[in-house]
Amino acid sequence: MKNKLFEKYFVFSPYFWLVLFFFIPLAIIFKISISVSEWGMPPYQDIFLFDNGFKINTTFENYVYIFSDYYYIGSFVNSLILALISTFFCLLIGFPLAFYIATSNIRLRNILLVLVVIPFWSSFLLRVYAWKIILQNNGILNVILLNLGITSEPLQLLYNQYAVIMGIVYTYLPLMILPLYGYLNKFDLNLIEASKDLGLNRIKTFYKVILPLSVPGIVAGSLLVFIPVVGEFIIPEMLGGSDRLYYGKILWEEFFVNRNWPGASALAFSGIIILVLPIVIFQILYSRWSQKNEI
Amino acid sequence: MDNNNFLVIENISKSFGDNKVLENINLNISKSEFFGLLGSSGSGKTTLLRILGGFEKPDTGRVILDGTDITKLEPFDRPLNYMFQSYALFPHLNVFNNLAFGIKENFTLKEIEINVRNIAELLSIEHLLNRRIKQLSGGEQQRVALGRCLIKKPKLLLLDEPLAALDKKLRSKTQLELTTLQKKLKITFVFVTHDQEEAMSLSDRMAIMKNGLILECSSPEEIYENPKSLYTANFIGIANIIEIYKKDENFYSDDLGINFKLNKKLKNTKTNILLRPEKIKIQSINNLKTSSFNSFSGEILEKSYLGSFTRYEIKIKNMIISVLDQNFNSSSNYNFPKGGKVICSWESESIKVLED
Repeated sequence: MKNKLFEKYFVFSPYFWLVLFFFIPLAIIFKISISVSEWGMPPYQDIFLFDNGFKINTTFENYVYIFSDYYYIGSFVNSLILALISTFFCLLIGFPLAFYIATSNIRLRNILLVLVVIPFWSSFLLRVYAWKIILQNNGILNVILLNLGITSEPLQLLYNQYAVIMGIVYTYLPLMILPLYGYLNKFDLNLIEASKDLGLNRIKTFYKVILPLSVPGIVAGSLLVFIPVVGEFIIPEMLGGSDRLYYGKILWEEFFVNRNWPGASALAFSGIIILVLPIVIFQILYSRWSQKNEI
Repeated sequence: MDNNNFLVIENISKSFGDNKVLENINLNISKSEFFGLLGSSGSGKTTLLRILGGFEKPDTGRVILDGTDITKLEPFDRPLNYMFQSYALFPHLNVFNNLAFGIKENFTLKEIEINVRNIAELLSIEHLLNRRIKQLSGGEQQRVALGRCLIKKPKLLLLDEPLAALDKKLRSKTQLELTTLQKKLKITFVFVTHDQEEAMSLSDRMAIMKNGLILECSSPEEIYENPKSLYTANFIGIANIIEIYKKDENFYSDDLGINFKLNKKLKNTKTNILLRPEKIKIQSINNLKTSSFNSFSGEILEKSYLGSFTRYEIKIKNMIISVLDQNFNSSSNYNFPKGGKVICSWESESIKVLED
């Protein structure tokens, strides 16, 4: 009896987690986003006022404000483009790596998997900072290039969008490789041989057999990279310059520099909705599709 | 090029690291032959088949198919097909597209449709064309895998354990279908199996493999009746192996304590002989006296009734001899009782000398 009860509630524990750490914070952010801002601490008015009888004190001004200024929308678009490009490169590098790991023998496979995971053992901040040292004007890369005579003066490698993309691809690559490996690991290698045996060369075999059967892994890995990169703050802050503004940075500034909590909350809430809604719809359609195709 | 050398395997050797998997394999396979490679696991039979398919490259040697050296060709350039033990059907495609997979490149839509229909009809799987692979039974999957290869009209079809994944009843049915199909299409089939019954019933000729070597290559009848080595004799069918040595005019076995009379001269003074269990005649002890050679009297230790045959394990001195006795009579008390004494005898011609 006791076990039954435990099981019953245990099933709900993921939902409990979701409510506690996602829906409640989201509700708080939404609440702040529709409050009226003011100078003070906290920098917004309560939405329920009781002084002269009960009054609801809300406004959508904050949403109007951020959606009417391209400064905010533009930064979000920049972040989306950055996430798309980074996900693409992660996939481009991660897929062959994951495939190689999944098809190599068990000893080599374990070594390679450890190598993929090792960066997680050191601080994320340190790893990004290391790239700063590598890419700076008198950094290792420039010293090598100068000594080899490839360039006559140091290249400006740091503080631009390319450095940001590189930093993100470097940091997020394991998040692409691991789910891909998980799927490719189960891949029946005989299918590749069968395809070749039936007359398809390597490239055609890739498009007709390997790629369609890897879709679940590609989707999982891509979402794992894409979603957090949209809100990424530290990497653009450390490696990026003023050539492009990103969503995470604007959010930070709005909260902590401008102390515009309602505006920042409106920005955060809009971002989540814009990002999550299409993904939820995609997931529903995709799970229907994969069920139909039994992948 | 003559028909006897349709597929020539020449000095093929292959090692994986320090492990020698194939050593100097030579085989000639005729056109339209159904050829079996029989061996236990680790004998190298699958590696040899994979070399023929192009999935492994041999360290030395050549493979010549229909007069063309195909040793260095990639699998997709070889005019042959390979049927995998797991069937390796594409789970993301339905039966129609699995069958059409290998011909989509070079045919028009209409030709593909006609070809797929024809092959489906040949294998009686027309009703399955729209199914997903997961919705098929093992037998149906086997047909799709076979059809996917045959639609390419290969010069040579390689089959890796073609019946291993099927249950026993389906296996014997499929065995018959496979032979009929092969004789009808006249395509050369080379298959690998660890199951000696399967090898015997399917093959026109077969090769016995052990530790990367071919021990014997002949027809199933020849290999069963006249095996050259002790290993083959034991591997195929039930075998009574008896050690004999020359004593006066005849040969004597210490284990049985009896004399043997052989038809032919022996090179060695000591050798092993093979006596197949169905070659031994079993009689009631009342009928006869034991002869001085090629006969003994013993006690029935075990018996198992197998329907058309009864198998007896008969103890004599230090040895247990297996005897298969055909059940001629329909009455059930015909069989000899367990624990009873019987006389066993055989013709001199039935004794096969294992020189190796």
